[in-house]
Amino acid sequence: MRVPVGALAEMLGELPSVDELVATLDGLGLPVDAVLELPGAPRGVLVADLIDVRPHPDAVGLTVVRVRAGEREAEVVCGAPNARVGLRSAWVPPGTTLPALGETIAAREVRGVRSEGMLASPRELGLFDHQGGLLVLGDDARAGSELADAWGPETVLELEITPNRADATGLLGVARDLAAKLLLSLRDPSRSEALDLGDPDVFDGLHVEVADPERCPRFTLRRIEGVRVGPSPVWLQRRVAAFGLRPRNNVVDVTNLVTFELGQPSHAYDVRALTGGVLQVRRARAEERLRTLGDDELALDPDDLVIATPERAADGAPHALAAVGGSRAIGLAGVIGGAGDSVRDDTSDVALEVAHFEPVGVRRTARRHKLHTDAHYRFERGVDPALPERASARIAALLTEVAGGTPHTGVTVVGTVRAAPAIDFRPSRVAWLTTLEVSADTQRAMLERLGCRVTIAGDDAWSVAPPSWRVDLGIEEDLIEEVARLHGFEHIASSVPNLAFVPPAGDPTHRALRDALVENGFLETISYAFTGAAELASARAPAASVVLTEPQGVERAVLRTALYPGLLAAARLNHAERDLALFEVGRVFGAEERERVALLLRGRRLVAPWRAGLEVDFFVAKGVLEQLAERFGAALELRPAAADHLHPHAAAEVLWDGRAVGQLGRVHPEVAAAFELGETFVAELELPLALHAPALTPLPRQPFAERDLAVIVPQGVTFAELRGALAAVAGPWLISLEPFDVYEGEQVGAGRRSLALRFRFRHAERSLADAEVEACMKEVMQAARAAGYTLRT
Amino acid sequence: MLDEALAEIRSAPDARALQQVRVAWLGRKGRVTERLKTLGGLAPEERRAAGAEINALKQALEQAFDERERELEAAAVQAQLERERVDVTLPGLRPAAGAHHLLSQVMHKLTDVFRTLGYEVVVGPELEDDHHNFEALNFPPEHPARDTQDTFWTSDGRLLRTHTSPMQVRYMRDHRPPFKVVVPGKVFRNEAVDTTHEAQFHQLEALVVGERITMADMRGAIEAMAVALFGPGTRTRLQPTFFPFVEPGAEFAIWWTHPKTGKEEWLELGGCGMVHPNVFRAVGYEGVTGFAFGFGLERMAMVTYGVADIRDLYRGDVRVLRQFRGVA
Repeated sequence: MRVPVGALAEMLGELPSVDELVATLDGLGLPVDAVLELPGAPRGVLVADLIDVRPHPDAVGLTVVRVRAGEREAEVVCGAPNARVGLRSAWVPPGTTLPALGETIAAREVRGVRSEGMLASPRELGLFDHQGGLLVLGDDARAGSELADAWGPETVLELEITPNRADATGLLGVARDLAAKLLLSLRDPSRSEALDLGDPDVFDGLHVEVADPERCPRFTLRRIEGVRVGPSPVWLQRRVAAFGLRPRNNVVDVTNLVTFELGQPSHAYDVRALTGGVLQVRRARAEERLRTLGDDELALDPDDLVIATPERAADGAPHALAAVGGSRAIGLAGVIGGAGDSVRDDTSDVALEVAHFEPVGVRRTARRHKLHTDAHYRFERGVDPALPERASARIAALLTEVAGGTPHTGVTVVGTVRAAPAIDFRPSRVAWLTTLEVSADTQRAMLERLGCRVTIAGDDAWSVAPPSWRVDLGIEEDLIEEVARLHGFEHIASSVPNLAFVPPAGDPTHRALRDALVENGFLETISYAFTGAAELASARAPAASVVLTEPQGVERAVLRTALYPGLLAAARLNHAERDLALFEVGRVFGAEERERVALLLRGRRLVAPWRAGLEVDFFVAKGVLEQLAERFGAALELRPAAADHLHPHAAAEVLWDGRAVGQLGRVHPEVAAAFELGETFVAELELPLALHAPALTPLPRQPFAERDLAVIVPQGVTFAELRGALAAVAGPWLISLEPFDVYEGEQVGAGRRSLALRFRFRHAERSLADAEVEACMKEVMQAARAAGYTLRT
Repeated sequence: MLDEALAEIRSAPDARALQQVRVAWLGRKGRVTERLKTLGGLAPEERRAAGAEINALKQALEQAFDERERELEAAAVQAQLERERVDVTLPGLRPAAGAHHLLSQVMHKLTDVFRTLGYEVVVGPELEDDHHNFEALNFPPEHPARDTQDTFWTSDGRLLRTHTSPMQVRYMRDHRPPFKVVVPGKVFRNEAVDTTHEAQFHQLEALVVGERITMADMRGAIEAMAVALFGPGTRTRLQPTFFPFVEPGAEFAIWWTHPKTGKEEWLELGGCGMVHPNVFRAVGYEGVTGFAFGFGLERMAMVTYGVADIRDLYRGDVRVLRQFRGVA
């Protein structure tokens, strides 16, 4: 919302400095995003009439224009499409500097014709952006005068309006807040004594039928006759431009002005477009279409509210709507007007619609048709329902002033204003909730300055009726905020509540896990929760089960079902890096949302540039998990298990404390190739991973006895199987059984391998005799032979 | 004879050669031993004198042998040390240093601060529904406030949470006041992506509910956080604003010294306010008040650590990730 400081001053009189104004508005919750300094017309530019326009003798599309600026006359060459005799515009005499062009204009020859300066467009003058040709001025601008005298520079505040402050989408709402805060008196243009509200009992030849009073609780239509459509006076063009709009003609500019000034949108129809003077507010029919002012052809929905007029006039009887059959939509209520029925250059009688539309319906329609208009923006937030009659009178008065129109004495008003319910308010609650000490008298004065009606029902029991324009005030807390806002949030002190609350311990952000991996040399990545179905497919991850309806491209169209594809993508991005250790903690979205950690390893783990490092293989990757498990006091076990994305013979299911939590393995070479990677290892585990508090076991007092045994087993028999089988028969004193060598090669024969095992035995209370240990080993050897394995000696 | 022997001893190049010299002089057939054997043929007087002489010679040689032995040992140690010389300037053999993601570091720093202040840290789902993300937080359907949070909807009618606030609803439904919680987590907005806007980012939000929690308590909490992050004397500013789930609502800023420019200025961080009665109603609370405040972690990370492009945080480029090492 752009607020010209000059327009604010017209409502409030003398204002503080711009800096103070900005600070005050910030403190009121109407934050100023930017302070714009709009330039005025450049010095030296004169208001001039075009008294002759002829084609350039030697250039198609150019004209030679004779201009008269008071006593001075000159000829200029002009390329504007709207140059015509009788137009009043801006002449830039030679020697004038146009800052917007960064140029001083000189007299020069244009294809053999001398041009004394130029005629300027609004954009060339730096006034507003418009491609349509020369600046068009009205009768108020005196030919020969300096345009800068009428069109000076202006300071404009760019306000950010929060969705609740519907009232502040008009200058009036901003002025009301400032008046209440700074104790200024407000000149409200909608409350001027001079306004002629019109007499609802006088018939002006227009009929309004509101078929949906829920969606359109209030509708006014005013006939303004004898309007001369033309350029707006400079003050109005300037004001409209300061609001960030493009001046068009006096009628449109006035309705736009009031939209921004009072926050009340309106629409002006050519009376001739209203068949039989009849205007209807109804739901759209299925299949009904509307061509809008913006020249979009809309397919309407039966939920859309439209302004309509009968297809053809009924004979005689004005109220014979039903008899004429159908009606056609000429506007989308509260959003945008139709293409052919609004004011045209030759319009003389205007039918002015100023209505109140229910916000939710307007919002639905605007969203459905993807329209964003100044009208819809205000209606969807909630325009003051009591405003239409006064806004209509304000527009009528302005049209009288700038377009020579005469408002009809009658006015059509349909519907009534429902007052918002009063709010029960306890002034003591201000201090209770905010700790601000504001006396009851002051609170009352503040609320009244904001337009509330305060009725004191009892001790600390008020009834506060909010003003019609503050549709956001509905509960006691809203009023507390109003008092606090006017008093100033800066006065709120700091305190610390004394709460009987002891936070439970826990690690919901998996800090211990992240710390462990980081200490182990891993870099943490964070990738997107959304990804592409194709990326998931090339990673052989489960297909997406959650799909976004309006994604930012196909690569972000679904929610990820696994984390490792993101790590593979990161590895692909970092293909120049030989050694990578990455991890991510994040959420995946399969049948349900799960939190996981994923790891990626490739290249080397121990690195020096001048020495061979430790190449990552399956066991290096497994070691990372083992170290993690050891740190967490958990038991880790890996079992061969296939997974689509992993190498069929280098893939394992990970059991953490006996619970299957995920997989570890070498990425399937085909998947790796799809990500332009070589040998790569990934793990992905469900979180949380159980962590156990350490418990101290007494140190053993007895020595252990150690025996080694090499067993040759067929490929396919895992170490875990062998250990399980042998440990089961090794007797009660076995304390560990670990491999100390694994050999495959000629000596053991193809399809077999030798596992050298180290057994340790210990008795808790006494030393073991050699014979006892030998007896245990004898059982072990027998079991191994019985299983068909060869013992290597 | 002594001089001859000493010369041989002193010129022995190593322990082995020295041993040979020892054998040659003092061994069973050594020259000194041979001379001792000649003593038996001498007269007693002569024998005494000659004996004394040979013993003196023998002692002198023993001493010389010991000395030479020590010399050689010392030289051997020196030679060994020399062989063990390393070039300390060559690079070390090492695992790479890991790093927490910058956003995790910011999150950890903040959760540490809040734990110290007595808050519980909780997390919640990223895939949410309209009820938790909007309705229960007092965003009625078709409310323009929803436009401020462009939403990613899913084909099954759910949504990616647009803020961490749905966790307010979830936590309050499962717990009774009083409590103090903070919720860090990922949030999503369907907005155009540029150097300062991402479709995915992180928030941290605090919620405190009790019998009488005031706006001053809220300011105190924000101030405590500011002081913990930016040092004593840090000031805060509250300005009214609107969020559907709080009333009154405010924006908060922190007066700080920008680490890069050295300029003192207001850092507008996030939103805050007193929990709206409709939110309490949605979770079945009565007779309590509370405050909530929240802010984006990316912005804090970017201004604190000089990240110019928010997208760098999500690309996974290790050349960026490695720079996050050592950040406190």
